[in-house]
Amino acid sequence: MALRYALWMAVKPDAVDAAFYDELRRHYSDEEIVELGAFIGFNIGYHTFFGSLKFYPLFSPDGRLVSQEESSDIYGSAPVSLA
Amino acid sequence: MDAAKPPITPITPTTPITPVEPDAADAELASLIARAARAGVPGPLFSGILARSPVHARALLRAMLISHTEGSVDHRLKEMVRIRLARIAGDSYFAALRSSVALGQGLDEATIAAALGDFENDPRFTPAQRVALRYADRMYRSPSEVDDALYAELKKHYSEAQIMELGAFMALHYGMQAFMRTMSQ
Repeated sequence: MALRYALWMAVKPDAVDAAFYDELRRHYSDEEIVELGAFIGFNIGYHTFFGSLKFYPLFSPDGRLVSQEESSDIYGSAPVSLA
Repeated sequence: MDAAKPPITPITPTTPITPVEPDAADAELASLIARAARAGVPGPLFSGILARSPVHARALLRAMLISHTEGSVDHRLKEMVRIRLARIAGDSYFAALRSSVALGQGLDEATIAAALGDFENDPRFTPAQRVALRYADRMYRSPSEVDDALYAELKKHYSEAQIMELGAFMALHYGMQAFMRTMSQ
């Protein structure tokens, strides 16, 4: 249910209706539902923003702090923020 | 200045989660809820729902208020961005709210309506305002179009700190709008 809540809030929000919340209540308290819902919303917002920044890992595989240019050479064309 | 009142959508609080009454919250949270109500955004209903999880409510309400009303990006612009994002998120609650601070600074409904429409071709908006609205629009409608060219355009008008202020503001408020949309169905 929690994973469905996350997925549907992002891609199928109309399906997160009163009946869905009734089903959530069978497993979670209202406090937990609000915690989950706010957390999911927060991540929906921030992962979209971070993805647009196209940043690469700060460290090389052997643990060195590297520049974004070197990191892109190491990790290739897929920025970690889009993973 | 347009003296027309904003189109207030009556909010019937039949949300799946019953909001906490302010007098049932601890002092710090009650103060934040009151501040949110005075500011107009995020408003008492969302604040009360969030207050069901006090730990998260304190952090998120504070962050929403700071990101909205503080910083160096013009607050009226952020308010227009916020409302446009609420429309994109399909959230009628946040779309109907109005920042009392922005209204006090002269933002009116005619300008808000223009920001929700074809802002790219509306002469009332400066290039800086248009690119900020474009940033918001693309971020949550077509994120693949938030590309290097858009960031280069943003940098013509805003410092990197201001771009981060805008981006982080958009991320937080859009996320809460996505959550609140499910509460309003």
